[in-house]
Amino acid sequence: MSSEQPLSADVVIVGSGVAGSSIANELARAGISVIVLEAGPRVDRQHFVENFRNLENKPSYQGPFPAVPWARHPPNQMTPNEYLHTTGPDAEAYQQVYLRMMGGTTWHWAGCAWRYLPSDFELRSRYGQGRDWALKYEDLEPFYYQAEVMMGVCGPDPAKEDLGSPRKQPYPMDALPISYAAQQFRKLIAEKTPWRVVHEPQARNTRPYDNRPTCEGHNNCMPICPIGAMYNGSYSVYHAEAAGARFVPNAVVYKIERDDANKRVTAVHYFDPDKGSHRVTGKYFVIAAHCIETAKLLLVSADDKSPDGVANSSGHVGRNMMDHTGVQVTFISGDKALWPGRGPLETNVIDNFRDGDWRSERGAYLVHMVDDNQVDLATSLAISKGYVGKELEEQIRYLASHTVRLFSHNEGLADPDNRLTLSKTNKDILGIPHPEVYYKLPEYTVKSCDHTRGLFKELIGLMHGRDEQWTPGYFPQDHPAGSTIMGVDPKDSVVDGHCRTHDHENLFIASSSVFSSVGTGNITLTVAALALRVADTLKKELNHA
Amino acid sequence: MPETVRKTFVSLLVAGSILAGTSHYCAAADEPDAALIQRGEYLATAGDCVACHTRPGGKPFAGGLKIATPMGDIVSTNITPDPDHGIGAYTEEDFEKSVRHGVRKDGSYLYPAMPYVSYSGLTDGDVKALYAWFMHAVKPVAETPTETSLSFPANVRTAMAGWNMLANHNPPETGDSATFEKMRRGRYLANALEHCGTCHTPRNFILSEKQDQYLAGGPLDGWYAPNITSSKTSGIGDWSEDDLVQYLQTGAVPGRSQAAGPMGEAVEHSTSHLTDADLHALAAYILQVAPQEEEPGQKPRDSFGQATAQPDIRSGDLTRIDDVTELKGGAVYDANCAACHGYDGAGASNRYVPSLFSNSVVGASRPDNLIMTVLYGVNRTAGKTHAFMPGFDGHSDVQRLSDAEVADVVNYVMAQYGNGNPHVTADQVKTFHKK
Amino acid sequence: MLRMSRRDVLLAGMGAAVASVTAQAAEPQPAVSSDVTEAAQFLTLSLRLTDRETLSPAIGSALYARIVQAVPERKAQISQLYTLMRQSHFESAQELAIAAEKADPAFKDVIHDIMTGWYRGVADQKVVVYRSALMFDITKDAVYPKTYATGGPFYWTSKPPEVPLPTGAPGLSPSKFVVEPT
Repeated sequence: MSSEQPLSADVVIVGSGVAGSSIANELARAGISVIVLEAGPRVDRQHFVENFRNLENKPSYQGPFPAVPWARHPPNQMTPNEYLHTTGPDAEAYQQVYLRMMGGTTWHWAGCAWRYLPSDFELRSRYGQGRDWALKYEDLEPFYYQAEVMMGVCGPDPAKEDLGSPRKQPYPMDALPISYAAQQFRKLIAEKTPWRVVHEPQARNTRPYDNRPTCEGHNNCMPICPIGAMYNGSYSVYHAEAAGARFVPNAVVYKIERDDANKRVTAVHYFDPDKGSHRVTGKYFVIAAHCIETAKLLLVSADDKSPDGVANSSGHVGRNMMDHTGVQVTFISGDKALWPGRGPLETNVIDNFRDGDWRSERGAYLVHMVDDNQVDLATSLAISKGYVGKELEEQIRYLASHTVRLFSHNEGLADPDNRLTLSKTNKDILGIPHPEVYYKLPEYTVKSCDHTRGLFKELIGLMHGRDEQWTPGYFPQDHPAGSTIMGVDPKDSVVDGHCRTHDHENLFIASSSVFSSVGTGNITLTVAALALRVADTLKKELNHA
Repeated sequence: MPETVRKTFVSLLVAGSILAGTSHYCAAADEPDAALIQRGEYLATAGDCVACHTRPGGKPFAGGLKIATPMGDIVSTNITPDPDHGIGAYTEEDFEKSVRHGVRKDGSYLYPAMPYVSYSGLTDGDVKALYAWFMHAVKPVAETPTETSLSFPANVRTAMAGWNMLANHNPPETGDSATFEKMRRGRYLANALEHCGTCHTPRNFILSEKQDQYLAGGPLDGWYAPNITSSKTSGIGDWSEDDLVQYLQTGAVPGRSQAAGPMGEAVEHSTSHLTDADLHALAAYILQVAPQEEEPGQKPRDSFGQATAQPDIRSGDLTRIDDVTELKGGAVYDANCAACHGYDGAGASNRYVPSLFSNSVVGASRPDNLIMTVLYGVNRTAGKTHAFMPGFDGHSDVQRLSDAEVADVVNYVMAQYGNGNPHVTADQVKTFHKK
Repeated sequence: MLRMSRRDVLLAGMGAAVASVTAQAAEPQPAVSSDVTEAAQFLTLSLRLTDRETLSPAIGSALYARIVQAVPERKAQISQLYTLMRQSHFESAQELAIAAEKADPAFKDVIHDIMTGWYRGVADQKVVVYRSALMFDITKDAVYPKTYATGGPFYWTSKPPEVPLPTGAPGLSPSKFVVEPT
């Protein structure tokens, strides 16, 4: 293994999801040498499309992505889980799924590309809850736009539908026309309630964009868009490679090496699938390996100089684990046929519960009327009810056209006791411990979920619903955040407002792990904006040097 | 028209074109009237000058596009009115000599990538209008594209004089082209402006168009410009005038064909901007061109295939994420094409995506255009419609197919929906890669 | 989908008896014809249980193979259910299902397997057919199987068909509905 050329670059990035790949692309285009180390393999869309079609349990978003043994990811959201071990009173509510491979978890997101609200960055000072970020909305605004252009985000005209996050430019693409089902839902909410349904901003093409086609409504954003109409991190990997970045797949980083003073990172070490070890040196290092894997890597890198893990003088690495916890209900509408499942999965949102004075008491939330094809579920349900033949067919048509699914994203809160640690008993084939998370839902989130249940009951009534099926307990929304929390004080936070670790001047973190609050929208656009801001900082420093 | 109104009209006209805000370049003293400039603009569009004289991402008419020829790459020149880098110093006579006779201001001969053998058919009045538009409405660009460097003997420009003598020139038309009756107008549009024959007419050993095989088809930079004579089996004799008008206006006739590659560009930049009357004239003329038969017993390109109806019996087995082994034809189709073109090949119900049966590209005897489409996709805007299919070559963000997979899926599609399996190999696909 | 004509179906229905006699007369390989017979019986049974006049024999064979591979006793059960169907005249799937469950509660699971196979395209918790599953055939005027949407961009804004409230009764007793974990 030592016979090869030593790997070295100006910037070494760990992880090729939306964060790592967009930094790589920006830097490579500025002529800076970049190496991207990805734990998982290089992958191909066509095999995922076929895997999906061969998958029996179609709602399993991890299903089409069977992991490689050297870079495992959680196989499903079940507890106990073979990889991500969760404990505590709400262990099931933290059973996050994610993907370790080229492009990362954006292979199976729904493209929801929310900017956070200005208040999301000031939760403590405005509402006395949680923490403030070490940056303001205005600091991130230009990078939000840059991220929207990079991904190709469609959204409503702010003059017609203000989503609460001030914009200097319009969305790169016009809003996606919503489905008939969503139109009916929007009408109902407008006519019968004080609330509103808005067009969700989405990283999805409403016209040909970036050499990718217009969305054709395959209704399969999760787990796999079959035509590439939705953004995923692999495009940024390709663009970075075309600009000269070096992409190294199957490189599982397991150690972050520092200088004698423990002030600067000097190298990272990775295992290849055969456990051959390789050292990669650079001037700057960015860990962009997903909230859970990033904290795991910092902890795994503990040594005499940093006995509690790298960048962890505060003791906050792995703490403050947050998520958007979900409440979900499925029911049969008593009104006219809606036929959900025509068009993309998530297109419309009730956004009235994103912000308000009540945030001093309970968490914010978004409500999606999920536009998910219900034919398979309707069929299973009708068979279980005992229908056969002609009557079965009538039932399937009725249930598939009248089933409504609502779910929410409820705001979590930073609590140091919700903590990721290294498993003492479970290790992968390379000998790296599995991650383990203790989770207890914050009271703030529980209150928010209770409020959501009340709202859902009201909506079920408005739609003359019956046969309601509540997903038991609380479920994870796969938006983990907080494990390397941002703050101004190095004593109680891991990174500063530029995502630079307090402890090591050339080590940055690009991930939702830096979030100080989990915010009121899906996390991805904010991850991308923060990453592009890191790229901007690195460009300035490298060009200055 | 009162003067103020006319000025507004001119500035609106100019602002509405791609050459917005250029009126201040016009010398007030010898400014030609707006009608002449407007006519020149329409003629330049019909002649599709922009197609060759603009490089991808470049400024309009500043040249720099590489045009592949058997002699090497020819680089198009700057024809903006910049005096140093473009044709700003050209008099109307200089302009006429280049456009109609292929002779530059310095007396040297142009390479015949410039279709002056077609433009030679322009009327005097239309050359004047073109000159007026180029000199007064096109925005000057101060940049010189790289020089063309060809291999011997073509690198000797004087050799081009000999070629020029031997080549077939289109005889000039006379009179006011706007008043020509339909068929004469159609011939004028086809030959003097749209220069259809430049691509669709095969060339002889000196690369001059073979006039006895007018519009019988020829290869073009990987693509194949098909036989568009009135042959009912080898050409487009089974098309109606309305079909052809629709094709030239929108780039697609569902159930017959659609334009991609250079024809997509011709539709986008030129034919979709023609008036209805001109489109009908052009179509009527093309549809009466003498038929050129290829093989006896041939069926029309757009008459092959039908929707397929096989059940998708599956293994139910999944592959690991690092499994990127090559798929076989039917599987490549299912995983990459079926989402839009349908598992049955029928395309989208609203015709946004074409069917693969009853499709000239799939029913052609040559696989060239299908290979090029799979590799490089379709990207054509006509009016408000942007037809787009991603490419699947080694630079695709959607899916990078291997040459073997491209060959396999082309063979599969042509066997299922076209004129039979062409047995394309991976090595053949490789020859279609853009350099 | 490749469908049998009504005549083919009748032929297959009469069965298999005719087919196997012919097969035996033509070529002396009874092992092959016994599989053919079973698949033909399965198809005939399936036609009654789906209230359909045509079904794809290719899908039928694939489903049958998976079902009996997963639960070997299904082989005998399907044959018994076929015999039960032959013994009386059943006007509908519902009639047959009611009679079958009454005769032997185990037939309920057999019928569930057959329904799950044809309508969901699943047997032995494996996908046998995806887009060709009957659940998509009966909803094709409104929705597409995921990854096979060919309505063109924004087709989803149009109004889908209305669906009346069904009035028919089930043929089997209800079972617990279990949603698979994701």
